[in-house]
Amino acid sequence: MALWLDALVAEIRAEMVANVWKVVATEGDEVADGDTLVILESMKMEIPVLAESAGTIAAMHVSEGDVVQEGDVIAVIE
Amino acid sequence: MTATAAAGGKVLVPKADDPRNPLTRLGQLFDADTVELITAEDDSGMLAAIGRIEGATSVAFCSDATIQGGAMGEAGCRVILVAYERALAEGCPVIGLWHSGGARLREGVVSLHAVGEVFAIMTRASGRVPQISVVLGPAAGGAAYGPALTDIVILGPEGRVFVTGPDVVRSVTGEDVDALRLGGPEPHGRRSGVVHVVAPTQEDAYGEARRLAALLGDQRTVGEVEDRDLSALLPESPKRAYDVHPIIDSLLDEGTSLELHPKWAPNVTTTLGRLGGRTVGVIANNPLRLGGCLDSASAEKAARFVRMCDAFGVPLVVVVDVPGYLPGVGQEWDGVVRRGAKLLHAFAEATVPRVTLVTRKAYGGAYIAMNSRSLGATRVFAWPGAEVAVMGAVAAVRILHRRRLAEVPADVRGEVEKELAIEHETLAGGLARAQEIGVIDEIVEPVRTRSVIAAAIAAAPATRGQHGNIPL
Repeated sequence: MALWLDALVAEIRAEMVANVWKVVATEGDEVADGDTLVILESMKMEIPVLAESAGTIAAMHVSEGDVVQEGDVIAVIE
Repeated sequence: MTATAAAGGKVLVPKADDPRNPLTRLGQLFDADTVELITAEDDSGMLAAIGRIEGATSVAFCSDATIQGGAMGEAGCRVILVAYERALAEGCPVIGLWHSGGARLREGVVSLHAVGEVFAIMTRASGRVPQISVVLGPAAGGAAYGPALTDIVILGPEGRVFVTGPDVVRSVTGEDVDALRLGGPEPHGRRSGVVHVVAPTQEDAYGEARRLAALLGDQRTVGEVEDRDLSALLPESPKRAYDVHPIIDSLLDEGTSLELHPKWAPNVTTTLGRLGGRTVGVIANNPLRLGGCLDSASAEKAARFVRMCDAFGVPLVVVVDVPGYLPGVGQEWDGVVRRGAKLLHAFAEATVPRVTLVTRKAYGGAYIAMNSRSLGATRVFAWPGAEVAVMGAVAAVRILHRRRLAEVPADVRGEVEKELAIEHETLAGGLARAQEIGVIDEIVEPVRTRSVIAAAIAAAPATRGQHGNIPL
C-alpha cells in the first residue's frame, strides 16, 4: 500500500529557505514534468520550482509572500 | 571458452544459460569477439578478461554469482589482483562487474585478508588507470567497499550496495527496511553519493561503462569545433534561475555528455564528454537548484571530479554562474568550511589545462572556488555583461553606505542605491577592472565559446596530476 501511494503522489519540497515570490500553478491544474509550480526568491534570485512528474496539483501549500524553510512541502502532485 | 576446470575435487556444471554467468556478463561489456580470459574458469567466484571497448583495450573482472552468491575468497581476490596488474601493465581502464555478498564466511580471516589486498591494489592503481565499477546485483561488505574505492560506480537496476544488509540492520537498530531502500538507486543516486550513474536497465549499465571506458581510456586530441550561440539558452532576466544542462550539452560535442552524480548535490554538475573530439570534464553551477549556490556536498562532489580528471589528464571546463556559498546553520554544522576547502585544494593542485567561463556572475568565496585565476586557471573567459564581484553591487552599497542610505527618504532610496551601485561598479568591479588586474583574460562573444575554449585547451601543454583519486 505504501509503495503504491509513493508511486502516485509526489510531494514537492523547498530545497532552501526562500520567499514565495509567485505562485504559478493552482490546485486542480494539470501539470507536465518540468512545468513551473511556484517561483521562489532567495539569494537575490528568482528560482522556479518545477514539477518532477506529470499529474494534477492535489494541494498547493504556499501563497505569495510566504517564507518556506528547507524541507517544507510546497505542493503535492497526484 | 568452454573449458570447465575441475576444482576442489568436483567438476563444475556448465552454466552458459545462467544470466549471472561471468563469461556472459564479460561478453556484454566488451566488443564482440574480443574477450580473452586471463584467469581460469573455476570455482574461485571471480573471472578476469582482457578485451576491447570501442576498439580500445580494457581489462575487466566479474563476480561469479552462481557460486556462493559471488562471495569473495582468497582465490577470487587473486583474480582481481591479476586483473589489476594487467591493467597497470597495459595502462588501460579496469572495470569490475560486481555481484557479491562480500567475503567468504567459511574462509574466515583468510578471506578478510584477501579482500584487504584487493583494496590495497585498488588504492595503488588509483589515479594511474581509470577504475570503473558496475554493480549488477547485491554488493555487500567488502564487495561494497571495492566499488567505492574506484573512480566511477554505475548501479544497474538489480544493484544494491550496503555494508550490512536489511537483516542485520533490523536486528541491530530495529529499522525495517528492504534492500532497495537501503542500498538501491534512490538512496545511493540521490542521498549518499556512493553511485555516480544509475542505469535503468542492465544493458544501459554495460553501455555507460563502455562509454566511460572510451572517454577515459581513449581521450584523443582536439579537432575541428563548430560554434553555436550558447547565450540563447540563458533567460532574459539576469535574476531568473535556469537549468544549466542545455548549456553543457551544447558546449560539448553533440550526444557525448555523460553526467556523473546527476541527482546528488545537483546544484553543481559534473559531466564528462568531448569537445572537438577530445575528452573534457565540465563542472558547472546549476542555478535551478539552490540558486546555483555552492554548499558542502556540491563542493565535495566537484572536488572529487576535479581530482579524477586531473589524475587522468582530462582537461577541465568550468562554467560559472554562482551567487555564493549557501548560508545557514545547517551548512556550517555540515562542515561547509572543511568540505568547501576540498574544492579549493583540488583546483589549486590540478595541473591539467583548466579553462573557466563566467556566463553571468561569480561572487565572493564561490568566485575563488570556481577555478579562478588565483587558483591557477589556464584561461579565464567571460561573456559580455557577466559580473565578477565580492557580491552584487546593490548588496555591496547597502553595506558600504548603510548610514548615508538610512538618512535618505524611503521613497528615493531605491534611486540612490542604483546610483551608488553604478559608482561602486566603476570603482570596485565590472569586467573591465577584472581584465585590468588580469583575473579575466578575455571577454568572448557567446557564439565563439566552443572554439575559444577548445583552442585554449589545445594550446595548453598536456599534463596530468601525479596523485591518487581518494573517494572524497
